[in-house]
Parts: sequence; C-alpha cells; structure tokens
Amino acid sequence: MKERLTVFRAVFTRELIMMQRYLVNSISGVVTLYIVFMLLFVGARAVTGGGLVMGATTMEGLVVGYLVWMFAMMGYQELAWGIINEAQVGTLEKLYLTPVGFRWVNGFAQLSQLAVNLTLLGLVFALILLTTGVALQVDIISVVPLLLITATSAYGLGFALAGLALIHKRIQAAFQIVQFIMVAFIAAPSDAWGRLLPLNLGHRLLTSAMVDGTRIWALPPGSLLTAVLVGAGYLGLGLLVMERCERQARDRGLLGHY
Amino acid sequence: MASPVPALEVAGLTKTFTSRKKPPVHAVRNISFTVQQREVVGLLGPNGAGKTTTIKCILGLMLPSAGTVRVMGNDLGREYRQLVRSACAVLEGSRNIYWRMTPRENLDFFTGLYGIPLQRSRPYTDHLLRVFRLEEKRLSQVQELSSGMKQKVAVACALAPRTPLVFLDEPTVGLDVETSYELRETLKGLVKEEGRTIIVSSHDMAVIQDLCRRVIIIKQGSIIVDDQVENLLQLFRTRAYRFTLSNGHDVHLEGAVARQFPGASISRTADRTELEVILPGAEDLYRFVDLVRESGLFIAGINQKEPDLEEAFLQLVRKEAQA
Repeated sequence: MKERLTVFRAVFTRELIMMQRYLVNSISGVVTLYIVFMLLFVGARAVTGGGLVMGATTMEGLVVGYLVWMFAMMGYQELAWGIINEAQVGTLEKLYLTPVGFRWVNGFAQLSQLAVNLTLLGLVFALILLTTGVALQVDIISVVPLLLITATSAYGLGFALAGLALIHKRIQAAFQIVQFIMVAFIAAPSDAWGRLLPLNLGHRLLTSAMVDGTRIWALPPGSLLTAVLVGAGYLGLGLLVMERCERQARDRGLLGHY
Repeated sequence: MASPVPALEVAGLTKTFTSRKKPPVHAVRNISFTVQQREVVGLLGPNGAGKTTTIKCILGLMLPSAGTVRVMGNDLGREYRQLVRSACAVLEGSRNIYWRMTPRENLDFFTGLYGIPLQRSRPYTDHLLRVFRLEEKRLSQVQELSSGMKQKVAVACALAPRTPLVFLDEPTVGLDVETSYELRETLKGLVKEEGRTIIVSSHDMAVIQDLCRRVIIIKQGSIIVDDQVENLLQLFRTRAYRFTLSNGHDVHLEGAVARQFPGASISRTADRTELEVILPGAEDLYRFVDLVRESGLFIAGINQKEPDLEEAFLQLVRKEAQA
C-alpha cells in the first residue's frame, strides 16, 4: 500500500509538471472546448430557437450533454493519447519496470488526470453558464458522482483504444470517429437498448439532476443501478481488451516501438 | 556457508516472432548463461544479433517463446514483481527519459516508480547528480542538455533505484569519443564503488573492454563465445602479426592473403605494404612467408600486434560466419 502511494505521488507530480510545461496546450484545450460549445449554442439558437443538438430539447439539456461529452472525451483521450505519447518519447517500456505493475501506473495517471480534468471542466462549465445565461442546478454531491458513473463507460472505451494504441500506435483517426460516435451515444433515445449504450443513461440521470434539480438519492434506483452496471461493464470490457492487446504487444515486442 | 544466489540465470531462452504473413524470425535461440553477483558482463553482437531482445525478454518486456529467467532467484513467470524490484535498465539511451522534465525531476520520478519515497532516494540521487557532473544542470529541462548529458541522465535514472542488477543497453550510443570516455570512467568508478551486477550491451568495444571482465558474444540469436575478456585477448595476442613489406606492392600477393587469411588488413605507403594478419599456427606463419617470398617482396619487419577486443570480436564473428 505504502509502495503504491509512493508510485501515485510520483505519477501525480509528473502529471502536474507536464501540465505546467505544456501550459499553452492545456489552456488552448480549455479555450477550444469553450469556443466549440459557443458555436453549437449560437447555431442551435439561431436555427431551432432551442437546444435541439446532442439530443437535447432545451438549452439546459444542451449544456448538460456538452458537459458529459467533454468529460468523457477528456477521459478516453487522455488514456489512449497517454500510451501513444509514452511510446513516442520512448518511456513506455520504462513504465513497465515498476514493482506495482504498469496497470497501476496507468491507473494513477488517469486518476491524476481526472483531478485535472474536473478542474478544467469546472472552469469551462462556469464560463459557459456565465456567458449563455443558462441556469442549472449544480449540486456537487449529486453531480460529481453522476458524472463519474457516466464517464466510466468512456474510460472503458479509452482502455480499449489504449490497448489498440499499444499495438498499432498511430490510431489518431479512430479518436476522431469515437468523438462523433460519443455524441450519438448521448443523443440516442434512452429506450431499453439505448440505455445500454455508453454515456446514454448516465447523461439522462445527470440531466434530471442538473435541469430538474433531482437529488441523486431521489433518482429511480433501477436506472441508477443500470447506469452503474453499464459503466462497470464497459470498463471491464475495456480493461479486458487492453490486457489482451498488452499481451500481444509483449509477445510481438511492440512496447518500445512507435 | 551457502553460495550467494546468482544475479541472473538464463536457461534455454528462446524468442521466435511469428506472423501469419511472414516466415518465423528466430531472434534468440536457446540461450543459457549465468551471471554471478557483482559481475560486470558485456553483451556483444552485430546489429540484429538478439542482444536487445535478450535483455527485453529477461525484463519481461517481451514474452519469451521458451526458457526460464531468474533474477536474484526470482522467476520471470511467477515472481515478476520481485524480479522488477531487482532489476532496472537503460533501454534506448536518452529516449528513456522525459525531456520536458529536469534531471532532478526524472530521477525523482523513476525512483518513485520503484516505490522509493523521496526522503530515501534523494541522498543517492544527489550523489548520482554529483558523480555524473549534472549538478549544475539539475534544474534545466533535459531537452536543453547536450546529448552526452541526456545520456548521463538516462544512465543515472537506471542506477537511481539501486537495484542489484542493472542493464545498460547501448549506454554510449551516439556519443563523441570524449563524452563516451567520460561516461565510461564514471561508470567504472560506480561499478567499483558499489559492486552491483551490471550487464552492458554495446557496439562500442572500448566500453566493453573498459568496463567488463567477462563478455558474451551473440550472433544470430545464439551465444558463440562466453569468456573472460582477458582470455579472449590472450587468445589473439599470440596470433596477431603486423608485417612490413618493402620493395613495392603486389596485388596478387594482396589478393592471395585476403583469400587465405580472412580478416587480414592491408595498407600501402609509397614503397611499402603493411599487412596485419592473424596466424593461428606455425604452419600458417610458414604459408604466409612462402606467399611473400613468391611475390618477390621482402619482409622488412615483423611485430606482434597487441590485439583489442574489437579485433577479437571481428575474428570470432567472421569465423562463425564461415563455419
């Protein structure tokens, strides 16, 4: 346990240092997310007079959908990009040389990124609320767990893509596609099958919490449980794909390649 | 008293890359060797001989097709976590570190990965910064350092977790003569001071000759020699000759020497020919002298050439290729 804490501290410190060193990149990421949203928002208002984008019927719904999409995208991209970057700079193999195992190092990196992402997301979200005048309920106790439950499935996708990145390295084109597929997942109707899609049900629950002001414990327990199980299912699947790919990469000697 | 456990035991290590579209590639073929604690062993071989694959298989970064590996008694398959605790490596020189971080930050991170808290690792990493003369640059980003310094940071990061076994894969690759010498001297000092087990893979024979007492030569995935460096040099010491021939040049003689004595080197000055040749037995010496006599040139001087590891390596590899 103590050993893992030390590894976590080392990884967390590295993430903070890297964020500082790539400060322009971090800031431009936030600015881009904000600009993209504003384009969507202004476009939606001009064309439909409402928020008929990302499956939302109101402007409030659009903001929540965008929030889920941002958080999910940040999560899965960090995971897969992380692997590609490490392979590119030549440090990936060294990360395997740790007594706690690469999975922990990778997990700690994601945890550190999660903290950073939540901060950045909060910033963009606050900016959006301020400039659009949209009013939402931000009950942290309900919103943060729901956001995490919703994003778990995105992390599953991230692990699967990270696994593929271990073998194929240059899979950036797939990222762009997944980005759009995620919008479709969020926008799809939450019927019996739609609820099983990544992000879908979580997004609906989050909309209830943020637009209607429903507290987490007042949400239908069946839906909440389904959202947790769907998230866990995708996460497990992603981890499985990653494990298989990792084994294949080690068998084919691809860890050090780019 | 029980003898100490070997630092590394490799038995029947084999790595074959298979692919549906291409024929299998046998990168490592049934390699076995043991390295005792405190030994410094050189791993030599031409490009593609299987040195790096061997190291990566030992470290579990590649899955071996067959064979067993034990590091400080820990089995690769069953006790991997323990095995990693005992071994660290420089794998691709300075590409192994974060260029956007400082030497100090890199050292802290890589010791942290081994679960060593800062308060325990700092005294030693400070020492490494001193001996590698990186103290002044400890707060500069690695990308701002010279290639020699980058390489030093990479080596320091591999030494920093203080594992009993360290692999240095091409630690001096791309360095100029002076920097390579400086790095070698630092490593020599550390090896002497700390008594760790080190396995150095390098194309630079001077590095191996300087640092290692024992050398393992790998060719096409198999070990062709595993001996003390001194024994190898001794083997060639009595066989390497330098002949100075006066009275001009003779292309026929040069051709005959090249054919009959593989590895011979020939150079010309205005009226002399210099021949460096390995003559393993007395009959070879007579055969060589007969060839010179037939050419009409005169032997103006014979010196027994002091062999170096590079020459021994080339001879052994060529001999193996002919076999």
